[in-house]
Amino acid sequence: MVRRGISYAALAVITFVLLFPLLYALSGSLMTASEISSFPPPLLPSRPNLRNFADVLRALPLARQYLNSAVVAISVMLGQLLTATLSAYAFAFLRFPFRNFVFALFLATMMIPWEAVIIPNYLFMADNSLVNTYPAFILPFLAAGFGTFLLRQFFLTFPRDLVDAAKVDGCGHLRFLWSILIPLSKPALATLGIYAFLSAWNQYFWPLLMTKSDAMATLQIGIKRLRDVEAATAPNFILAGTVLALIPTLILIYVFQRQIVRGLTTGALRG
Amino acid sequence: MLTQVELTGIRAAASAQVRDRHRLAARELLTAALFLLPSLLVFTVFLFWPLLRSAVISTYGNDIIGRPTRFTGSHNYQLLLSQPELHEVILNTLLFTLYTVLPALVIGIALALLLQLRVAGIGFFRTLLATPFGFSVATASAVFGIFFNPGVGVLNGFLYPFHIHPVGWLTSPTTALLAVAATTVWLQLGYNVLVLSAGLQAIPEDVYEAARLDGARGLSLLRHVTLPLLTPSLFFLLVVSTIQSLQSFGQIDILTKGGPARSTTTLVYDLYLNAFAFGNSNFGLASAIAMVLFLLVVIVTAIQFGVLERRVFYR
Amino acid sequence: MKRLAVLVLLLLLAAACGGGNDQQTSSSGNFDWNSKAPAKPVKITFWHGFSAGANQDAVNALAAKFSDAHKGEIEVTPVYAGDYDTTFAKLKAAIQSGKADQLPSMVQIYDIGTRFMIDSQAITPAQTFIDHEKYSAKDLEPNILGYYQINGKLFSMPWNVSTPLLYFNRDAFSEAGLDPNKPPSTLAELRVAAEKLTKKDASGSTVRYGFGAAIYGWFLEQFTARADQTYCNNGNGRDKSATKVLFNQPVDIKVVDWWANLVKDGLALNTGRQTPDAQNAFKAGKVAMNLESTGTLRGYQAAVKFQLGTAPYPKVESSTTAGGTIIGGASLWVLNKRPAYEQKAAWEFEKFLEQGDSMAYWHTHTGYFPVDKKSLDDPTDKDWVARYPQFKTAIDQLHSTKLDKATQGCLLGVMPATRQAAEVGMETAITGKAPAKKAMDDAAANIQPQIDQYNQATSGS
Repeated sequence: MVRRGISYAALAVITFVLLFPLLYALSGSLMTASEISSFPPPLLPSRPNLRNFADVLRALPLARQYLNSAVVAISVMLGQLLTATLSAYAFAFLRFPFRNFVFALFLATMMIPWEAVIIPNYLFMADNSLVNTYPAFILPFLAAGFGTFLLRQFFLTFPRDLVDAAKVDGCGHLRFLWSILIPLSKPALATLGIYAFLSAWNQYFWPLLMTKSDAMATLQIGIKRLRDVEAATAPNFILAGTVLALIPTLILIYVFQRQIVRGLTTGALRG
Repeated sequence: MLTQVELTGIRAAASAQVRDRHRLAARELLTAALFLLPSLLVFTVFLFWPLLRSAVISTYGNDIIGRPTRFTGSHNYQLLLSQPELHEVILNTLLFTLYTVLPALVIGIALALLLQLRVAGIGFFRTLLATPFGFSVATASAVFGIFFNPGVGVLNGFLYPFHIHPVGWLTSPTTALLAVAATTVWLQLGYNVLVLSAGLQAIPEDVYEAARLDGARGLSLLRHVTLPLLTPSLFFLLVVSTIQSLQSFGQIDILTKGGPARSTTTLVYDLYLNAFAFGNSNFGLASAIAMVLFLLVVIVTAIQFGVLERRVFYR
Repeated sequence: MKRLAVLVLLLLLAAACGGGNDQQTSSSGNFDWNSKAPAKPVKITFWHGFSAGANQDAVNALAAKFSDAHKGEIEVTPVYAGDYDTTFAKLKAAIQSGKADQLPSMVQIYDIGTRFMIDSQAITPAQTFIDHEKYSAKDLEPNILGYYQINGKLFSMPWNVSTPLLYFNRDAFSEAGLDPNKPPSTLAELRVAAEKLTKKDASGSTVRYGFGAAIYGWFLEQFTARADQTYCNNGNGRDKSATKVLFNQPVDIKVVDWWANLVKDGLALNTGRQTPDAQNAFKAGKVAMNLESTGTLRGYQAAVKFQLGTAPYPKVESSTTAGGTIIGGASLWVLNKRPAYEQKAAWEFEKFLEQGDSMAYWHTHTGYFPVDKKSLDDPTDKDWVARYPQFKTAIDQLHSTKLDKATQGCLLGVMPATRQAAEVGMETAITGKAPAKKAMDDAAANIQPQIDQYNQATSGS
């Protein structure tokens, strides 16, 4: 009984500490500018109000930036699901020369830091007048070595017989992929989808270079601009914007946590 | 006795089968090629080719809008090496990686172990502790930037009752790198907790029981059973978060812009400063930095695989 | 997929190094004055750097007024292109693309981007229009035009202009036994005042610092000009392209050392490089003296709960008689890849923005310095100055400045990066990481390769 009490106390304290940034962001977003700027800083608003949210929505085209982030993240997610499924299928079920070499090439992509290739990519986008357009945000991330790896590991857990049986049935690769493999792979696909979505949604460096107008900014860049403008003057304002930007990703990780974890345990971590 | 006709028939059938198999193999090859094409296309256009081009550009001087114009050989590299700041920048990069990766792993293990407690509602806590994973570098930095504010920040507010003078977390060269690292550790924790508790849950109960029968308890159980069985997850996190740390950009850009006095300028940030910030378009020099970064990532990853992977306990 | 395939094709066509990008550039010699617009009205786009707020409202109002007056002839569309740095980067990307349709008709670029713009081969100098139509610039403040002139040739039209001032808390002065009507005018005097103004509470923590300003390279540039010294060589880059910065010369070391000592001795608060942090400290009364631009006057006036004082920017040595402050802000550039008729229309708009009544409107709605001298005689402008008497300090300061190479300011292709390098040096000294001399020497050494690279790039290779 006492032990259980201690357990809960420990859990509660640690959860509070770890969640403090989120709690403070929520609390601060409801404060007035003078309240949050007083010292020592209060932790709770004396009279919570939603003014900051209205102000942020007025100051920035946040709805538009939401849309931009969503378009980019969803496109990248769908693109990666498609390209990774196809290539993982090839690595798991098809025989072709240099298969291991090509697979190593795919894995090697995880070791090329995007920053190391950012200048040629910048030039490429500038050359083709793609700066400040959706394709610039989306195209480079339509394929991912990690996604291929994850799905391949998952596919390899299927018995080889399944594939052979399907072939005997006269099932073509595409049909087998579509009507048998994908339905069976939903957990892994969900994991990859969530990862792809989150990483695209949270990107910072590349959108920073590619954004040349508020209307094309993603939420992350919107937050940065909010901070540039309001940094020291209105923390409450920044926190309100931050909270708005956080809602989709927090929902995602709270609601789909089982899928995220399941993907981690199936395959991805097995040598 | 087979008749001549029958023999011919069998031969024809056999060769048809071989042809079929060939055709099947050819079809499989074609299918593989088609399936791999989309990914390979993206990789080629946006990774492999640019990596090559980065290497080429790093040997060029550029015009004032960044376009490579003239071959200068190793000039950019010599320039880079001759600048005292390079050592500082590489040191900052490595220190930052050290300050972020290790604490995030250690705290991550502690939190994951805590989440193994067998109490009702543990799933709820598990869900909550993943919270930082829902933050991006931009959102986390925005919030931490407010914590670190020297004048009105919450952190100095906590110190106030103890009569500790306000600390210039982000404005003092001695604390800035640590403050940015702390932000990153927090950000990384959500993911680490998820991976590590998944890893812990995957350890079968009978392993523990066997160990307990052998007399292992508490810390020795942790040291001799839990941690070794957790090494695959730990190694995975180590490699992934090291690469990520070496690439950190957003938190530096939002919190310190590489300052104060260059104390948070890492390789990636130095690349940004030379190529894109303050009206700069020094793509040649910046590409040389990009190559150094690439090499650093390869070397560090190779070391991790060479030295540590042997100790990973794959079941 | 198809789009991707097209892109790949494009990529393969572009060589590893530099796509062919040899657009015709019309230099001043061959401007097509007879160019006629195929359709009326001529639409011009104007990129500027003012985010939503009073300044942007003023831009839009002036553009609308102009378009109304030229109905059926010219229509101006102002476009907010992001802050100064973003606008600059955006323009670079547009020039990089080599396509005229990516460029605006005219653009506002910050002062420190001036040399780059001149070298970019992407602009038509203002002087081209001035010479062609014998436009008289005699009403425009010569001390403002000076920054954008090389050998008397004007490259762009100054638009939003600011100068630096010493702001101080008059109440704190009185409280500390200082005469608020005699603010310090030199570094030494400033230190003496700071000693008196710094106040500690019983526990020994400082409740008010004598001095505090953002670590902003612009301030060092101003001190240099105030001492009548150039900031970069070759006559501040005006005789020919500068090849070296001089911010590690004795006068600058003296300034940085003075600042570092103030911080070390607890007389100044260091809030880092972020301008708003320093502004807040001053507004909150935590700092009694502060360096800022004239542009901040209205914000300060609205926020402070004490009597606000302004004084001319301090001198380094009391013995200096020449020298003065350099103007800051931004100017307007016409892009030469746009059709000539469009450029002429943009020039019309620029002239409109400069004229007396527009400038009076601009000045009173934004707080920027009026470029046209007549604006100050405008009744609304007179009312405004009466409301903000502190602005008088700025007017006097500008008029008392003798225009020479030092006060024209340093032109350097990599000026934005140079300012940044100076700030790193200043910060290194102010945070006590290194002595002033070493910090500034290192900063100068660090920026040198960038200057060399820029000069190599522009020397026609």
